[in-house]
Amino acid sequence: MNSTFKTYFHVDMDAFFVSVEELFDPSLKGKAVVVGGQRDERGVVSAASYEARKFGVHSAMPLRTAAKLCPHAIFVDGHMDRYQECSKKVYAVLNRFTPKVEMASIDEAYLDMTGTERLFGPPLKAAHALHEAMKSETQLNCSIGIATSRVVAKITSDQAKPNGVLWVIPGSESGFLAPLDVRKMPGIGKVTEQRLHELGIRKIGDLAKLDDAFLQQHFGAWGAAMAAKARGEDAGGWFDAEVGEDEGPKSISHEHTFSEDTRNEADLEATLLRLSEMVGRRLREHALFARTVQLKLRYTDFSTITRAHTPDSPTQLDTEIYSEIRKLFRANWTRGRTIRLLGVTTTNFEAQEDASGQMNLLSTGTTSNQHQRWTQATAMADKLRDKFGDSSVVLGTSLKRKLRERVHENPADRKKPEQ
Amino acid sequence: MATTTSIGTDSSTAAAQGTAMEITVNKADLLRELTATQGVVERKTTIPILSNFLFEAADGKLSITATDLDLSLRTSCAAKVKKEGSCTIPARKFYDYVKLLPEGEVSIKLMENHWVQIRSGRSNTKMVGMARANFPALPAFPDSLSMQLPAQVLRTLIGKTIFAISSEESRYTLNGALMVLKAESITMVATDGHRLAHIENSKARFTGISGEMKTLVPKKAMAELNSLLQNSDVESIEFAKDDSTLFFRIGPRVLTSRQLTGQFPNYEAVLPRDNNKSVALRCEELASAIQRVAQFADERSGAIRLKLDKNELRLSSSSTDSGESEDSIEVVYDSDPMVIGFNSQYLLEFLKVANDGGVRLELKDSQSAGQLRPDDAGDEYKYRYIVMPMRI
Repeated sequence: MNSTFKTYFHVDMDAFFVSVEELFDPSLKGKAVVVGGQRDERGVVSAASYEARKFGVHSAMPLRTAAKLCPHAIFVDGHMDRYQECSKKVYAVLNRFTPKVEMASIDEAYLDMTGTERLFGPPLKAAHALHEAMKSETQLNCSIGIATSRVVAKITSDQAKPNGVLWVIPGSESGFLAPLDVRKMPGIGKVTEQRLHELGIRKIGDLAKLDDAFLQQHFGAWGAAMAAKARGEDAGGWFDAEVGEDEGPKSISHEHTFSEDTRNEADLEATLLRLSEMVGRRLREHALFARTVQLKLRYTDFSTITRAHTPDSPTQLDTEIYSEIRKLFRANWTRGRTIRLLGVTTTNFEAQEDASGQMNLLSTGTTSNQHQRWTQATAMADKLRDKFGDSSVVLGTSLKRKLRERVHENPADRKKPEQ
Repeated sequence: MATTTSIGTDSSTAAAQGTAMEITVNKADLLRELTATQGVVERKTTIPILSNFLFEAADGKLSITATDLDLSLRTSCAAKVKKEGSCTIPARKFYDYVKLLPEGEVSIKLMENHWVQIRSGRSNTKMVGMARANFPALPAFPDSLSMQLPAQVLRTLIGKTIFAISSEESRYTLNGALMVLKAESITMVATDGHRLAHIENSKARFTGISGEMKTLVPKKAMAELNSLLQNSDVESIEFAKDDSTLFFRIGPRVLTSRQLTGQFPNYEAVLPRDNNKSVALRCEELASAIQRVAQFADERSGAIRLKLDKNELRLSSSSTDSGESEDSIEVVYDSDPMVIGFNSQYLLEFLKVANDGGVRLELKDSQSAGQLRPDDAGDEYKYRYIVMPMRI
């Protein structure tokens, strides 16, 4: 049995965005810092320092709420480029310890360390070396959880925080998990937690005691996965896949919340174009073609609609995504109603443009001619963006709306669907 | 005070209109015309007035208009007009209600504030419409420039091409069929970029045309025209167009459609000329073989494989999900063997509308367009269908 253990590390950077900001401005160290925007702005918190978290500030909370909870906090705009740069360095360190690295988000990764004992010694020793290497090469702190499954490794790294290493010895998983609140388990959010509480289940140990059938009856297939996780097994959603087994994204999307709600059509369409460009760029980075394009539209009163369309042929071109999105927008926006948020999502990916193999009758026609020219133009623009930054080349209309990119630091409790 | 005055003016206009319209119509007559408009009334619209009918009563008839801005239908039925006038009324609700009324007379009366009273026998209902002024103005039929199109021919042309029109909205000029009128022929062509349906009638005669007259007819207008023709026994319809609009008069009904602008692709360039491998097949036999084999084709692409060999056409498919399947048809064939892939759906859609009987499949090689031509009994129509192959 003992040689068949898997050894997983979950490496989680401590207060990643804040720590990166501290590298650029050491005076922030040890202070309550909120990253994401200024205190009177409309957006949400991307990350908060441990000092700010003591006051109840957490990511995805409106900035203005954070300002109320922690009035003395220093508010800093986010710098995605810096975080991505540091994330790359983090990855480089991790990649030296095992080729099986899966970045779960910009600041956390799963490592399959199975079979690396001869290279790095027993798990704790390897983790210590990794921890040291991370600090010396990136000046950033991380916490490492070690376990025989990714679920337990993730929970463990959380327990190890900040700046710690924790190993759950094989065989002791259930004992380790039992006293923890169910909320600690990845995938259990506010809603599931409440439903579990209603059933009298508060600790992961309570969950593990139940039989699968009971959970399945109350929570469907997700219930069975939850039971397996409570026993310390990887199950459900992406925990089913192996580390480093790159499944590629299932959807690519960008959203924008207006700093002031608007009904200005030119502004709205410019925003949609900018979002389409951002989505298109990422599609091309992943070498994917999207079959389905979806518009998300949230009015001032928070009523939200999503509308999708699947054109004949998959695309990765900004102009083609935008033309679909604009059509959806024009057909579904109630003119005159002010809009709070717009989003562009692409799903249903294919690796090739004409995966079907259907040949074209009118390949010399104007439509495909235009398509060809846009493909070439976009490829050139991408090269320029690689060299001079993402905003160096944009489509004319979208100039009206320059968006600041916002990414949330490890929004673990929001990321995975609950059921 | 200015405000008060203007309100006063408004309500007096409303009152003038409000007491104006009062009519009685036969339920069956009314329902028949309402049914005819169902394809045009916009169901999901962001412009509320478009889910309303416009009613106009004058000269012993009730005119009913529905529009979605792209397409409009104006029809009428006989009515006893007590007071001439007009109003609008929520289309779907009104239609559903009239369907439920007993046979007999229905009286419709416009009240104040756009309320409309509908009475029939012992039933009494009030619905609220919108101001008539909000209803979009529709272009009038330009009588002077109209020409006659034979109804039966038009129906045939639409039926044999409409399925090949692209439903892909971004390919704007492919969202309709091209109608080419010459003095001695009428042709209709539709394509979605993968296949093309082409039909010509050279028996019909048209006066007042020099050279040729090309018109792009939107798919929605074709479908509407088709269903109007199906429910009518007129021998010919009146057709006219101006810069932006197409007009079709079918008996008492007038269908207007916004024109598609833009250049229809140069389809003549893609009509195959040297497809020298040819087999004669029976439509039904080919269709059922394709249907069987297609059950086991890749679900998304619907790809099937056609293999021409000595005196045999072999159809096959395979998919990782469902298995594989093969069918073969005995044919007379003596040229080089060849294999070609097609989207089974494209072939079936054509075979469904081709007349029962013989069809000729003409191929060149696995990279070039195939052509299907029904052997027509008469020489009234020339019908051909061109399909690009799939890489297999």
